[in-house]
Amino acid sequence: MTSTPMTARRIRNGLKIPLMLAPALGLVVVLFGGGILVGLGQSLGYFPAIGLNEFTFSNYTTVLTDRNFLISLWLTFRIAAVTTVLSSVLAIAFTLVLREKFAGSKITTFLFQVPLPVPHLVAASGIILLITQSGLIARIATAVGLMDTPADFPALVFDKGGVAIILTFLWKEVPFVGLVILAILQSVGPQYEEQARTLGANARQRFRHVLLPLIMPGVMSTSIIIFAFTFANYEIPLLLGVRFPSTLPVVAFREYQDPDLALRPQAMAISIVLAVVAILLLIAYRRLARSAVK
Amino acid sequence: MTAVSLRHISRRFGDHVAVRDLNLDIESGEMVAFLGPSGCGKTTTLRMITGLIEPSSGDILFDGESVLSTPTERRGAVMVFQKHLLFPTMNVAQNVGFGLKMARVSREETAERVKEILELVDLPGLEDRKAHELSGGQQQRVALARALIVRPKVLLLDEPLANLDANLRITMRHLIRSIQKEMGITAIFVTHDQEEAVMLADRVALMFDGVLQQVGAPDEFFRTPRTTGVARFFRNGNFLRGHRRGSTIHTDVGPIEIVSTSETVEDGPSVLTVRPEEVRLVNEETDQENVVPAVVTSLIYMGSHTQLTVTIGDTPWQIQAPAAFQARNGDTVRLLLPRGHVSIVADDDTATTGSAEATLAEGSAVL
Repeated sequence: MTSTPMTARRIRNGLKIPLMLAPALGLVVVLFGGGILVGLGQSLGYFPAIGLNEFTFSNYTTVLTDRNFLISLWLTFRIAAVTTVLSSVLAIAFTLVLREKFAGSKITTFLFQVPLPVPHLVAASGIILLITQSGLIARIATAVGLMDTPADFPALVFDKGGVAIILTFLWKEVPFVGLVILAILQSVGPQYEEQARTLGANARQRFRHVLLPLIMPGVMSTSIIIFAFTFANYEIPLLLGVRFPSTLPVVAFREYQDPDLALRPQAMAISIVLAVVAILLLIAYRRLARSAVK
Repeated sequence: MTAVSLRHISRRFGDHVAVRDLNLDIESGEMVAFLGPSGCGKTTTLRMITGLIEPSSGDILFDGESVLSTPTERRGAVMVFQKHLLFPTMNVAQNVGFGLKMARVSREETAERVKEILELVDLPGLEDRKAHELSGGQQQRVALARALIVRPKVLLLDEPLANLDANLRITMRHLIRSIQKEMGITAIFVTHDQEEAVMLADRVALMFDGVLQQVGAPDEFFRTPRTTGVARFFRNGNFLRGHRRGSTIHTDVGPIEIVSTSETVEDGPSVLTVRPEEVRLVNEETDQENVVPAVVTSLIYMGSHTQLTVTIGDTPWQIQAPAAFQARNGDTVRLLLPRGHVSIVADDDTATTGSAEATLAEGSAVL
């Protein structure tokens, strides 16, 4: 007898949360999911607007067997991976210095975080001004006699290895990882290291066995974000990369914008492959990271 | 087993002097308590012994050798912090075995010693638990085991029981005391709780404002506090001013006889004290010595006794009266200050309030 109102209340409570989430969830599902669904459809050859109604995998076979696609995929992966690893390592190194109290440590910490609110596009322009062969560094080096002409400066921008792209990403992402690590270090305090120290751990051992395990979860989650971001980033490789090879997002957008609408299903196929590869890599990375932390 | 000597240790933080010219010799195998209110410099002293901070001046010796140039990680002074600070990424066995791993002791020996030490702290078989799966008392034991396993030269405990509830604290006191005795380890612990210091330590070192006030066996702080401040910290606020001539203190309420000590204390203005539990109530007809009149100002029934507040002249005194004691505010009672329990204390208040007290002392001398 008493169970009926109880059950009713439980059902009501159970429904409350989904109902409250519904508006936000609906927006995401319709706009994001809808977009993916349309893209998936086009990549599979379903594009009624230009008279394509047959489902086919031919776009995927075309894309995946194209040698240029694989070159772009490798470039995209390499840029994302190098950025992720380097930004994590550099951020750890920087924060270890920054948390020490030294003369000017406050201003240094501030400068370290300056890149955070700067848009990626601005960062890219800055890099161009700085390190192209006609850039500031090349001119200064020539002026002080380190080089004969600015053209002797190595081609870092518009180069096939994507050095300028990686540099721009690093300039933006190192402070991001650093911010997370600094927050962890602040909440943890020096006490664990002091405890380890009285137990006989030297500086290297304290870093390896105490500090690193404490900050690794934070580094792992930010590095996943960075990998996903750089892997799919469009504007930086477009601005700072060479025409060929381009990263996959650039290739996909170029084909998407092509006046020949028949290229669009291929662009969609590239995007879907990009997304799937990114997801697979992230899953693998998480697995690896978890076992590494343990 | 190591003897620890602190020689003229001082530590300044900017303008603030945290510890001032501290001298103390701690014997091998001894358990010493640094006691004092928060901010008195006791934890700073402990951290200087570990090497986590350096003294501004003075020297620290282990077995007669200065350790100031030995870094913390090689000093062998292991600290157990107030927060138990178990490494959150490790399980119990990894936490306890941490020091051995750092010293590159083999896995087999580590496992063996971890098992042994966990039995010693009464936590057998908990090797695989994570720190957050343990209760506060268990965490404290793991922290203790982690320190003991490296066989420290000196074991340092910073308010080790402060975060535990009352019952657990008593159990842990016994555990720490018995392990320390059994292993014959030199141990120093910091506490603000005088009861804890008295129960655990062979000797107590009481500090106020960075200055060592009195060092001695626990009972000395009750029988012969050196100053009014020391007496107050041990919950004795009964002071009576007078003028000493030989073994007699002449006060406004009559002469009080004391046991003349072998120490030569100069005649002159003095402050005497008797602990609340040693003052006795006597009836009118007595003709004993050391009986003074007092006026009752409050009575609080405490169950096992009655806490009586009186004024002698105009000085308030606390007295532990029998539970059945009855009186009204304003009643006059007669107090016996047993000769063996009267002690002379140096007057801290003179030092702080300066000339006013000095004038008072001079005035009574003229009288």
